[in-house]
Amino acid sequence: MQHTVSKDRYERMRKTGSIHYSMEIKRNLAEMVDKFPDNPQGMNYFYDRYEKFLSGDDTSYQGKKVVASMCIHVPLELIYAVGAVPVRICSGAYSMDQIGTEFLPAKTCPMVKSTLGAIYLDILPGNIDPVLIVNPATCDQKKKMGEMGDELGKPLYLLEVPPTKDTEEARRYWHRVIKKFVKKLESVTGNKITRRSLKRAIKMVAKAQAEYRRFNQIRKTAPVIYGKDAILVTNAYFFDDIERWTQKLSELNDELEKRIEQKVYVGKAHSPRILLTGSPSIFPNVKLPVLIEELGGVVVYEEFCSTSRMIWDTVAVDEWFLYDMIPAVADRYLKPSTCPNFSPNDDRKRKIAKGIEDFKVDGVIYQTFTGCQLYDMESRTVGNFVESLGVSTLFIESDYNPDDFGQLTTRLEAFLDSLKNKK
Amino acid sequence: MKTKISKIRRWVNNGNVSRFRFWIQIIAFILFVYGSYFLIQVGQNLPTFACPYNPGSPGTCFLMSVQHRMHTSFSALFSWRGVGFLTSLLSFVLFFIIFNKAWCGFLCPLGTIQDWITMLRKRLGIRGGQYDEKSFKKLSWIKYVLLALLFLIPLAISNSFFGLPKLSHDLHTPFCQICPARIILPLFSGDTSQLSINFSSTVTIVMSSLAIIILALFFVGSFVKKRFFCFFCPMSALQYLFSKIGILRLTKVGDKCTRCGNCSRVCDMGILSIAEDITSVNVVTDNCMMCFKCVEACPEEDCLNVKVLNFKIFTSTEEGFFKRYNPAGDSKELPSEQSKK
Repeated sequence: MQHTVSKDRYERMRKTGSIHYSMEIKRNLAEMVDKFPDNPQGMNYFYDRYEKFLSGDDTSYQGKKVVASMCIHVPLELIYAVGAVPVRICSGAYSMDQIGTEFLPAKTCPMVKSTLGAIYLDILPGNIDPVLIVNPATCDQKKKMGEMGDELGKPLYLLEVPPTKDTEEARRYWHRVIKKFVKKLESVTGNKITRRSLKRAIKMVAKAQAEYRRFNQIRKTAPVIYGKDAILVTNAYFFDDIERWTQKLSELNDELEKRIEQKVYVGKAHSPRILLTGSPSIFPNVKLPVLIEELGGVVVYEEFCSTSRMIWDTVAVDEWFLYDMIPAVADRYLKPSTCPNFSPNDDRKRKIAKGIEDFKVDGVIYQTFTGCQLYDMESRTVGNFVESLGVSTLFIESDYNPDDFGQLTTRLEAFLDSLKNKK
Repeated sequence: MKTKISKIRRWVNNGNVSRFRFWIQIIAFILFVYGSYFLIQVGQNLPTFACPYNPGSPGTCFLMSVQHRMHTSFSALFSWRGVGFLTSLLSFVLFFIIFNKAWCGFLCPLGTIQDWITMLRKRLGIRGGQYDEKSFKKLSWIKYVLLALLFLIPLAISNSFFGLPKLSHDLHTPFCQICPARIILPLFSGDTSQLSINFSSTVTIVMSSLAIIILALFFVGSFVKKRFFCFFCPMSALQYLFSKIGILRLTKVGDKCTRCGNCSRVCDMGILSIAEDITSVNVVTDNCMMCFKCVEACPEEDCLNVKVLNFKIFTSTEEGFFKRYNPAGDSKELPSEQSKK
């Protein structure tokens, strides 16, 4: 696409884009940190990561082979096993969304626009220069966006996600796709996957999963952390060094466990407990959770591909050889996924139902980005299903533009009030 | 008291059933192959392969006594001999009801041998085969056909069906004639006489040749696929008929399942329904051998349960899962890895 704008203009776009981007990060982070008193100490690490890493001040990945990924279908274990670092580049930045508007249709989902904008301008977390950008064929917009790789001169790689996950045919197909992906990874990094490296990677990710599950257990027990912070923690999994992330989450968990003992809770006794689902909230686009919590609700569980869906499910291997480990890793990224690109997707309803029960949810807020067709289409069935469980839902269509604060505030306030009255 | 129970529970749920099973299998193997040398005699109606051709066998597999009892005229079968059959069936069921299909996973010597063959394959680092869904479904039928034949052939020796001539007497105990256990288990007692072709008549030549072929298939098959023979085992089919009343149960709470498929992936029999089925409570299917590897591989709290009646004895837990599959400090490696070293 570079040919469509002059080099001069591109440089200008990049310069202004990165200024807007870092302003956005600072502003939104301040919104999340300063407006809430008494944030856990353990969160400081994560706040700091955003400040430093997203704005490119942290250059710890420079010189390393980085494989950029999107969506939740890219097996991270395989990337670690070839000695590369995975960084998920799905973007939540409005400033990048505006760049993407330059070459994608106006009604495209802001996440796709924003991500492509960031790829185009090379404004990726940690200033990484990925050897491969893996683009899973999930929704149509992601698929079509992937085709622009050549035009942009970027190494975009299409990971062929099957349209369904329930059949054995889809599973076998996916296993073959992943085998091909392994070959690709080995060729771009020059390293071979070995029994030992993959096993190490599986265990490393499993440790992170175990810690994340502990985090969820804590959130189930008592409201000791705001959802906006939880979203930041899980969002940091996108790009952070996984072992350090696990370590820092463990420290945060220890602190939160103390908070449970001391009964230091967030929100008030009657704060409505909210489950958030739909199009993913990705920092810096966290206006919805922040607004909910400013208005007195507490987000207790997020059913997003940027949060719980990404880390929760585990890999179990029967025979610790590559022939079994690779399909086992492949399965983990297909079978339990509740991404709406799969049809049917009843598992998502069941997951939400379980979330409602486990986290004692009072109301469900369903977010759809303007132009995000799949979540929009699923909103009806999911909404009806949630209502049938006797839980109120609020459907919100929004995008990355911060201008709809006023309208959102009115609707959220009314919804939260109605939940409070029910309590 | 309560904390003590929950402590024990936690210890059990964090435990490694596969390792436990490995040792139980060895003990059971010794019992069912060499039991008579320890003067053990447990009767004729065992729901497992305890082969009477093996001099060390402490009892008899029920399939043999079924074939013997069916080797009779209809008039006799519906009189006193029928009672004999019913009482033997009853004692089979009484044995079976306690362990349910865990007979296959924990006690059957032929199953144990197959598991050892699989261990050998793993040690060599050779990839095993998998079933696709279609052949899995097709193969699952064979054992029922064999079970029906097991009743019908002896009956057709003593009776004439639809005016057809009676079958040859040499076809008595037809299943035993082709069963690999008849040849393998005596070998463990040093008896090689079964490893031969019986030239008494055309029928015996055919049947004993068939047995040798099946024996070869048994070894090749179980080397390639885990528990290959169990697919064709009429004992497994017969057991499944009574599985619903077994007091040992494998149950699932569908609401807690994320359908991640861990359970079906580790399943030696390749049962897919354990992961896909989110409505059934009882998840023991005809191919299930109740080895409980699925429970070990399930990371969801309380999703898969092993129960005795309604009392949970082993449950899937997060902690147990991570202990078994991804030891926290990398301190202990999995049993399957230890064997590799």
